[in-house]
Amino acid sequence: MGFFVLQKDKLNDFLASLEEYEVWAPVQNGTTTLFEVIKDFQNLSLDLKHQVLISKSAVFPQTESLFTFDRNAHPQATNLEKKKETIIFGIRPCDAQSFQLLDPVFEGDIPDPYYLNRRNNAILIGIACSEPFLNCFCTSVGGNPFSKEPLDLLFTELDSVFYIEVITEKGKKIIDKTSTLCAPASSDERKQKEQMAHTSESKIKRKIDLNHIPEKLTGIFEHPIWKKLAMKCIGCGICTYTCPTCYCFDIQDETRARKGRRVRVWDSCMFTEYTLHASGHNPRPTRGERLRNRIYHKFKFNIDNFGVVGCVGCGRCITLCPVNVDLIENLSAIKEVE
Amino acid sequence: MNIQKLRDEAKRALNRKEVKYLIGYQKGSYGFRVSPAFIESKEEVDRLIFSPLCALSLANYLMLEEKLPQSEDKKKAKATKIALFARGCDSRALNQIIAEKGIPRDELYIIGIPCKGVIDLKKIEARFPGVVDFAEVVEKNGNYIVTIKEQIFEVPKEELVADTCKVCQYPTPLIYNKLIGDNVEGYPANYDEIHSLEEKTLEEKWDFWQKEFDSCIRCYACKNSCPLCYCEGCVLDKLTPQWVRRSVDSSENLLFHITRTFHLAGRCISCGECERVCPMDIPLMKLNRKMEKEVKELFNYEAGKDPVSQTLLTTFNLEDPEDFIL
Repeated sequence: MGFFVLQKDKLNDFLASLEEYEVWAPVQNGTTTLFEVIKDFQNLSLDLKHQVLISKSAVFPQTESLFTFDRNAHPQATNLEKKKETIIFGIRPCDAQSFQLLDPVFEGDIPDPYYLNRRNNAILIGIACSEPFLNCFCTSVGGNPFSKEPLDLLFTELDSVFYIEVITEKGKKIIDKTSTLCAPASSDERKQKEQMAHTSESKIKRKIDLNHIPEKLTGIFEHPIWKKLAMKCIGCGICTYTCPTCYCFDIQDETRARKGRRVRVWDSCMFTEYTLHASGHNPRPTRGERLRNRIYHKFKFNIDNFGVVGCVGCGRCITLCPVNVDLIENLSAIKEVE
Repeated sequence: MNIQKLRDEAKRALNRKEVKYLIGYQKGSYGFRVSPAFIESKEEVDRLIFSPLCALSLANYLMLEEKLPQSEDKKKAKATKIALFARGCDSRALNQIIAEKGIPRDELYIIGIPCKGVIDLKKIEARFPGVVDFAEVVEKNGNYIVTIKEQIFEVPKEELVADTCKVCQYPTPLIYNKLIGDNVEGYPANYDEIHSLEEKTLEEKWDFWQKEFDSCIRCYACKNSCPLCYCEGCVLDKLTPQWVRRSVDSSENLLFHITRTFHLAGRCISCGECERVCPMDIPLMKLNRKMEKEVKELFNYEAGKDPVSQTLLTTFNLEDPEDFIL
């Protein structure tokens, strides 16, 4: 649909000219990077090495009020009013792909208006991964550091310009709005980008062959390997909270006197409380069952339910795990199980 | 550190019929990572390592709820003990847990390792980005010798050592069955960093912590990695009543961190594990060390010095200062 270039030093102008949108972008916060509505473009951080970035919070916030209630009045739905369009800027292709895994869950039997409102209202502008990170393994789960789906625009950082590929009509609209800043790309720039895409893929160091893993998992639910793999897990929520494809949530009522609100908050299958029944019984009483669930969900249940692997290979769970629980190592161990 | 000596000692420990298994360190899955090792038979001891990369605390694993399934031999032998490696800070954690009656002393077989400080993984991975191949580090004359794929780099220790280790008072284990290696001298008590925070105005302090807590994602890695956070019914997990809401916002995050800090007052042994594991780089040790300093000044008490003394919050002295009580 078209190829353009934007001078690198014009990036702030580009984003500033989109003021009619709510722009989400990676923002420097001390030593880490947050993904939030950007107020000051000086804080924009495209050094995506800081893997904590959780772009899913732009469509599925960690804490969200569903409705408020009052003893003397009807409940009032919250967060459903039509908002201005959102631009989610600076996400990596793998994170963009995670939206395709989240969509069918929230579209499900009963469509979730909170998620879908945000999702349908969002324009996704990705940045291609010319330098994959330490634990990137997107190519093992069907991804690619330059993949386009479901992005609207894909930026590639060349020497002095961003090379922009227009992927959808929504993306075209953005280019039209910023036409004074964007110029058509030359065939040289196009070649340069193609070359980059090629070398980037070869820079990915971590790989896993997923063939036969779903079948393997079918037969080893009760295998002692789960206990062994989970021995070092400390049961924190890092792997799930920083996972772009994890979507579990809890719903709670927060009340004060006669008023309150019902909130939805992220939950993690790595927490004991996650499966705790009101009776006190816990069907996943130990870390073994919990770690098993995380792997089954991504590499079996998601395939059974939606036909695709529930992982985009971003590597966050591996990089950020404080005790070296390594998904690739675990999957390899599972393949070895007799 | 003589690795062979360490492995021999581990072998001797595993030879004891009352030892169920041993918790040590082994190479991690890539790069600079080190993984905890759970070893049941003496044939596996060659996996064990100890290096400046061994930053994670093993003491925490004693208190996680399930233990390794035992082999039939060990079951028959009625094995009851867990053997583990303990650096100075870990040994203080063990002392504190034993003093609190969290675990009986005779259920532990402690292999003490005097520690010269460990590397901050975030620092070394920033210094040498993208290393997937196994890398090794040894300390030599105040420098770290880093070997990556047969390439050797020399980095001043100061640049990579964990901040917690720079103020460590007790690098040599205080409790052990066997001690391996020579004693390491600790640093004198140093609270300069805390003093500079104390000098800030109330408003500045509020802004500082507000900003730090706002980035908290409540993954509870700080709580779950803490060797002293082992209460079965943690107040933070309670649903009825729900003391701390699950909502992640300024107010609940503040409550979570304040609660965590208070529950560790007089108990934290400054291993720095909470700060090490925090994905958002929240400087949690500033809170813990502030508490440690208060406790020292008010009650002349330090946690985890020995396994028999009464713990701070279970004692009452008529002479205790009470001018802070309204």
